[in-house]
Amino acid sequence: MTKKVIYYVNQFFGGIGGEDTADFEPEIREGQVGPATAAASQLEDAEITHTIICGDNFMGSNTEEALDRIAKMLEDKEFDLLIAGPAFQAGRYGVACGNVCKMVQDRFGKPTVTSINVESPGVEMFKKDIIIVEGANAAAKMRKDLKNLIKVANKMLKGEQLQCAVDGYFPRGKRAELWLEDTRENTAAYRGVQMLIKKIKGEDYQTELIIPKKDVVPIADPVKLDEAVIALVTTGGIVPVDNPDRIQSASATRWGRYDISGVDSLPNRAAEGYKTIHAGFDPAAADADPNVIMPVDAMRAYEKEGKYARLHNYFYSTVGTGTTESEAARMASEIIPYLEEDGVNAIILTST
Amino acid sequence: MKLTIGNLHVQDVCLGSENSFKDGILTIDKEAAIAYLKEEDDHITDLDIVIAHPGDDTRIVPVIETIEPRVRMDGRCLFPGVTGDLVPAGDGDLKAFKGCCVTVVGKEWGSFGDGVIDMGGEGAKQTYFSKLINICLVGDTDEEFERHEQQKMNHALRWAGHRFAEWIGQIAKDIEAEDTEVYEFDPITKREAAKNDLPNVVAVLQPQSQMEALGYNDLWYGWDMNKYLPSFVSPTEVFDGAMISGSFMPASSKWSTYEMQNFPILKELFAEDGKEFNFIGVIMSNLNVALDQKERSAIMVRNMALSLGADYALVTEEGYGNPDTDYVRCQVILEDAGIPVVGVSDESDGRDGFGQPLVVLNEKLTALVSTGNVGALSDLPACATVIGNLEAMNRDGMSGSWGYDEILGKSARDDGSIIMENNNWFCGNHISGFAVKTMVEV
Repeated sequence: MTKKVIYYVNQFFGGIGGEDTADFEPEIREGQVGPATAAASQLEDAEITHTIICGDNFMGSNTEEALDRIAKMLEDKEFDLLIAGPAFQAGRYGVACGNVCKMVQDRFGKPTVTSINVESPGVEMFKKDIIIVEGANAAAKMRKDLKNLIKVANKMLKGEQLQCAVDGYFPRGKRAELWLEDTRENTAAYRGVQMLIKKIKGEDYQTELIIPKKDVVPIADPVKLDEAVIALVTTGGIVPVDNPDRIQSASATRWGRYDISGVDSLPNRAAEGYKTIHAGFDPAAADADPNVIMPVDAMRAYEKEGKYARLHNYFYSTVGTGTTESEAARMASEIIPYLEEDGVNAIILTST
Repeated sequence: MKLTIGNLHVQDVCLGSENSFKDGILTIDKEAAIAYLKEEDDHITDLDIVIAHPGDDTRIVPVIETIEPRVRMDGRCLFPGVTGDLVPAGDGDLKAFKGCCVTVVGKEWGSFGDGVIDMGGEGAKQTYFSKLINICLVGDTDEEFERHEQQKMNHALRWAGHRFAEWIGQIAKDIEAEDTEVYEFDPITKREAAKNDLPNVVAVLQPQSQMEALGYNDLWYGWDMNKYLPSFVSPTEVFDGAMISGSFMPASSKWSTYEMQNFPILKELFAEDGKEFNFIGVIMSNLNVALDQKERSAIMVRNMALSLGADYALVTEEGYGNPDTDYVRCQVILEDAGIPVVGVSDESDGRDGFGQPLVVLNEKLTALVSTGNVGALSDLPACATVIGNLEAMNRDGMSGSWGYDEILGKSARDDGSIIMENNNWFCGNHISGFAVKTMVEV
């Protein structure tokens, strides 16, 4: 079945005009406009049904409104892919392509692809979210950029696995498994030893895992203890014995929030109180005394001594083993509103 | 040390009333085998032997262990300190049945470290063991104390597997080998000049030892590697049963005993020994959880490498997550000591592939081999035959499968189809070197 594609261009490539028409408001036209015409001839088994045109200034100054209006235009359209650009190194156009692609992915769940040069801020802003084929720095390279862009679009339409290195788009930090032909030369053992030989000889080799630059979170300012409302959060898997939130023992995607109002010390597993469901360590000590991971006992004692203002009356728990940074960040963002609501200004995060 | 392995290539395995190997057909006296294994361990309450062939529409779960059947020609046991007395391993003559493995399977119950093998269909590519004839030893025990524990030692069934591999191996004793592998590890202070002039390469292995309680970790000559410090060993000892696999660690990141007996990374180092470099042996480390234990092991690895005159090192870990800290620390301390490193491991990028690949990262790691993503999802149809018990995936806390998920449902569905993480494929990422899988940016 022929797939349907929608194309996005700015006022210049849409044939409206130059800088003087950059306030051109979003408009959708049936068929192909500007680069969409050449793109259509290169698409395999897909047609470009509509082209959206929007002035770069309008998009830049009224981003939300422009995106809402484009979303409305797409609501009654059937499509399988959105292509934007190529934008070359144009600043506003690159950012516009990024915004439109991201909006379409987020609101419609449809794949998108664009082409932008690394010098445009659009690349830095959107390369993690969308597929941006590396473009040239000048519109004179339209033929080449469009060819590269449509090559990737064709693969996406066929559902083929893309690879940054092969398809020439900016890395998104997304990794996937790739099976190689079943030969000795492709075994990890052979690859490892050959990589070592190249390292010995000073020859070029390609590491299979490029270590990214560090993403360091700055240390927070100190908290005044007499004003401190402290919450306890753990990745140690302490939960009520029946694990009511069904938090997984590894690779967790779920978390729980448990009321400790008036509790001076967490009762243990034998007392039908709390236990750990974390599968990454020996649970014996934590089952015997869950306070060793979730130190409610010590915190209550300090609270009574007036060492800090008060303890937040819930603790929060998930399992850290095998749990990815992205899932952990999502769970944190779900927990934080509860903490903010109670005026928590310090957290003790216990790990295991 | 010189280890000679005479290979007998198994074309098929049959269950019968005698033990024999004729024209490539290995026949096992099933009743005698079961009687022997039950006799050796009173804790075994139920035992069966089932054969699974490559390409069969068969799913095996929960898989506890795989072992290659072998015999030592001098009568020494196959696994010193495990199946027999403590005797030196690493030199002498062995015979091995190639193309098959003993596969230990829980009849009812699974454990955190147990996994899945699909013999046919789309799932077959997920483990090397689908290429072998699996002689499945399916059993249950009276080890009630751990029946409902997520972490099981599975002592009775694991030991039965090792004994069974040894028992089958006896069949090879008087049969002439079809081909022979020879691994010669010369004393490193007495090597010929031409070899000594080559760059010295050491392998650093980090086997699983995270459980503080004993009985779950890999064993070295029967010794729990949690109570162990890095040692200099011969690669031939690894091939010759000095080490057996444990029951802990998500299945896809484990090294089974079969993998230790055939350790592909060590075999490839032997293949280039004397040509591209001088292979000066193995520093056998571990993967303990306490920071001081990690640092102590890293220091000892470094100092042993320096004292041995290692110029380069290849480091590999049996695991991911917490063990990544040892894997990265060890590489950094070696690089800082002027010993450039190549590392081999898998990654934990999450189901969406956007997660941080290793728990800690360090820019000094410039040469890494990646063998898979423990978080990758598999969604596969039912198989005609199940050996073991699919329900273990839902019930027993096997790594990478689950009994409830509001979006994905349970791992083992009522129609026999499964959805699970890579974590649950038995040794699926084959960090030992069998992996024909890599990771790419997409």
